[in-house]
Amino acid sequence: MAEVGFTALEDIPKMREVLKHGFLSGKLRPVSARKEQILRLAYMIEDHADEFRHALALDLGRGPLEADFLDLQPTLHEVMEAYDHVEKWSKPEKPSFTLNWFAMSPVIRKEPKGTVLIISPFNFPMLLVLGPLAGALAAGCTALIKPSEQSPAVSELIAKLIPQYLDKDVCQVVLGGVPETTEVLELQWDHILYTGNGRVAKIILTAAAKHLTPVTTELGGKNPVVLDPKSDLKLAARRIAWGKFTNCGQICASPDYLLLPQAIEEEFTKELLDVLASFYPETPRKSSSYSRIITKQHTARIQRLITETKGKIIVGGESDVEERYIAPTIVKDVQPDDSLMEGEIFGPVLPIVSVKDVDEAINFINERDHPLVIYVFSQDEAFKAKVFDNTRSGAAISNETVIYHATTGLPFGGIGPSGSGATTGKYNFDMFTHSRASLNGRGWIDLILGGRYPPHTPAKSKKLALTMQRKLPSRPQALVAAGLGAATESTSNRWGLWLALAVVAAVVSGSMQLTSVRSWLAGMAK
Amino acid sequence: MQFTPLEDIPKIRESLRNVFHSGKTKPVAFRQEKLKQMGYLVQENKQALLDALKSDLGRPYLESDVLELVPTVNDIKYTHDNVHKWARSESAPFQFASSSMRPKVMKEPKGTVLAIIPYNYPLFLSFTPLMAAIAAGNTVLLKPSELAPATSQLLAELIPKYLGDDIVRVVLGAVEETTKLLELQWDHIAYTGSQRVARIVSAAAAKHLIPVTLELGGKNPVIIDPKSDLRLAARRIWWGKLVNAGQICVSPDYVLVPREVQDQLITEINLVHSEFFPEGPAESDSFGRIATTNHTQRIAGLIKETKGDIIIGGDVNLGKRYVAPTLVSNPSAEEPLMQEEIFGPVLPVVPVENVDEAIAFVNARQHPLVLYVFSQDSSFKAKVAAQTQSGAFAANELLLHVAAYGLPFGGTGPSGSGQVRGKYGFDTFTHLRGCIDQPGWIDTALLWRRYPPYNTWNQRVLAWITGDMFSDSKASRWWAWAWMAAIAAGFTMWSLSMSR
Repeated sequence: MAEVGFTALEDIPKMREVLKHGFLSGKLRPVSARKEQILRLAYMIEDHADEFRHALALDLGRGPLEADFLDLQPTLHEVMEAYDHVEKWSKPEKPSFTLNWFAMSPVIRKEPKGTVLIISPFNFPMLLVLGPLAGALAAGCTALIKPSEQSPAVSELIAKLIPQYLDKDVCQVVLGGVPETTEVLELQWDHILYTGNGRVAKIILTAAAKHLTPVTTELGGKNPVVLDPKSDLKLAARRIAWGKFTNCGQICASPDYLLLPQAIEEEFTKELLDVLASFYPETPRKSSSYSRIITKQHTARIQRLITETKGKIIVGGESDVEERYIAPTIVKDVQPDDSLMEGEIFGPVLPIVSVKDVDEAINFINERDHPLVIYVFSQDEAFKAKVFDNTRSGAAISNETVIYHATTGLPFGGIGPSGSGATTGKYNFDMFTHSRASLNGRGWIDLILGGRYPPHTPAKSKKLALTMQRKLPSRPQALVAAGLGAATESTSNRWGLWLALAVVAAVVSGSMQLTSVRSWLAGMAK
Repeated sequence: MQFTPLEDIPKIRESLRNVFHSGKTKPVAFRQEKLKQMGYLVQENKQALLDALKSDLGRPYLESDVLELVPTVNDIKYTHDNVHKWARSESAPFQFASSSMRPKVMKEPKGTVLAIIPYNYPLFLSFTPLMAAIAAGNTVLLKPSELAPATSQLLAELIPKYLGDDIVRVVLGAVEETTKLLELQWDHIAYTGSQRVARIVSAAAAKHLIPVTLELGGKNPVIIDPKSDLRLAARRIWWGKLVNAGQICVSPDYVLVPREVQDQLITEINLVHSEFFPEGPAESDSFGRIATTNHTQRIAGLIKETKGDIIIGGDVNLGKRYVAPTLVSNPSAEEPLMQEEIFGPVLPVVPVENVDEAIAFVNARQHPLVLYVFSQDSSFKAKVAAQTQSGAFAANELLLHVAAYGLPFGGTGPSGSGQVRGKYGFDTFTHLRGCIDQPGWIDTALLWRRYPPYNTWNQRVLAWITGDMFSDSKASRWWAWAWMAAIAAGFTMWSLSMSR
């Protein structure tokens, strides 16, 4: 494991000052300047792809295919997504036309929040920090990034390369553990994105509360897989096994446990065993297609879960803390109070809980925290709809695992204990953007709205009500039944009509040189 | 006002959660029905509501009607008319690489939410989160302010009458009741009020990882272009400041005026003042009162300690909760009047050299909820907008941006986070649930290469089809495969038909 040179604590406030200054300088205001920084970020990744692959192998024992398919390529994809769309995303948005308001040209300006903080975990040490960074740059923010100390090789590489490729007052990197993060959280930020676990998220939210900083949290949770007994079991087995054992189960969107209908228990476990044998013909330990656990502590934690389980281990179970190795493990007959059901497993262990039917599966899910994602394997629309309509989760995925994170245009985010806010693509941009409502009033509007000024008179009240009030749709039956209210008078007039009249009058008076009309209008404006 | 017993609070939340779990709030038609009932609630109890507002805030009927009741009904109507569009699932933008998975975004209610409301617009600010949360399909606990007892009490009576007693519940109370509410887990909290309480709310929410929307205040500046129509500016600023006696989170707080037109602006405000209140503001029924004696005292303190010149007003009557419309010229930047949100009918006028000094003045302070500019020059407006940060930006008009359809309402930084009104309100109480459905054949065709055992060839193919590397030829995409497949298929069919 590489030695990480942690950032000196006293440098952290200075880094923030530099970034604040960079933001206030307005250098990222032009979209072209943002694109320039994003493109440099992309070249940083491309120029050093091999170094990143090497670092990923050091930190996570991750083979080059997984490194490319799950980290490098998706990161580049995110960065280029921001590069390609920043013009479109940052364009001011016009609300749909309304007669009453169009004269004041309402518009929503997309403005950067300021200087933002991104704290990322070890499991996707590139994607989860450089992806959001691209979003922050696209939004026009300057950013402090804090990659994980648990993936030292990648984090150190990022810390080395960022200053070479990006401007120092645009992005800075903090390396460190708890003391450094604590120091960072003492400071005021304009937005914080935290990806990690619920325990730390509470600390971060509490620190952010002091400065009223908005926070997006991407957390994990125990993601269930619900299986329709009539579905394509071979396909399900292959994709579940792949989703679970890729990156050794260390993905926040990894399937955590399987709710297996009793009727197909035997058949499906056999499918799973077959798939495992085909994945790792020379045993997983020797396979170059199988990763390692990030740290010895985590290995020991997962090892404990396996030794304490009261379920039946049908494959795997071996572990070696020194080598950070846990075999792909499948445990059946797991009870709800089992060690494996305590918290998010975040390792290559798949507990199987048997259920009678889909209703029992839904109840099982609803008795627990809302997960980040629910996976359903079924070819039956009604089955899928039933599960998704009766549960809450960050995402709802059918017949696929894990890779939905990379799907362009889908938000990635949890609900409740699995996080709040959405990331990836345009959602990253939106997270770091403030939608600033904007209006441009006109003096002559007072021809219509002048009644608002004191002294108030009944005539003014009536005129204003007439111009502003909308008519409600017909009275709800429930109210009629309860004997509430009589028929309502209809007041459907809008000031927009008055406005249209005023415009017509103005045009007419202008074009026909009717001085009398103009002096009348001028008199009304007073 | 009868406070809700503390021991009832957890039970009320339990019942709201159970109602949510029953799924009755899921159909959009149900939500529309509730919105309609909400609209009739306001429309049919107009006089009772106007009276309650008068008793709480001493507010003139015209102000309550035009700036509170009418916008409330309008927003409810707008939400009612549009919710079916907002609630529809959205397809992700088409992309060939992910099109097989049919990606879409489902709009799902967050669950059971808590809305804490301040006293200054007790009706509009109650219904703003309420209609949004109901439109999104949530169940709601509403905690109106104890500082507006008449309105809060009336709401507690009318809501069950019109909306039933299952999807919305009202808790009446003060600090103790709110503390109890904040101990519980909610699926979202919308808080409107002060920064001090916002910190407490956020810290309590952190324990349960609850997302929070904060609508706070701030010192909203008005920047004046020396070439602008000063008569118009004076009339609108003085109106905007005095509506609801300055107790609006979007009230203009202070004016930054170029030295060369400072006297002229003050003269115009003086003129407007006598136009507004020919018989004096104390006697006028067109001017409101301060909500509580405490707040009256606080504002009196600000006036007393000012080092500036009091041009208009300055008199206070604690017993009547009256603070006269007050214009203060040349206050010091350090005095309390320029340090805290005034939230009362006192307008400090601060002279500056030019627009750059005005921008620097604004940027040296916390981001306000709204920044106002008076100018007829687009480059002047653009400059101020681009070089400052604020919740909203309004030129030549005050307060009304809050009522314009399609605009979000919300602050940035210390003035709040998250947005309400219209679709923005709906989105605040909605979870965007990403959704894909992957067919099996994609594995047969392409993605089987992701499965172990891995090899270099598969790595290269996967990188080629999913990757977005830079290269001079931009052809390395899935669609290249698709074209090749389509051409191959076409060729096969053609050759088959030829051979027959």
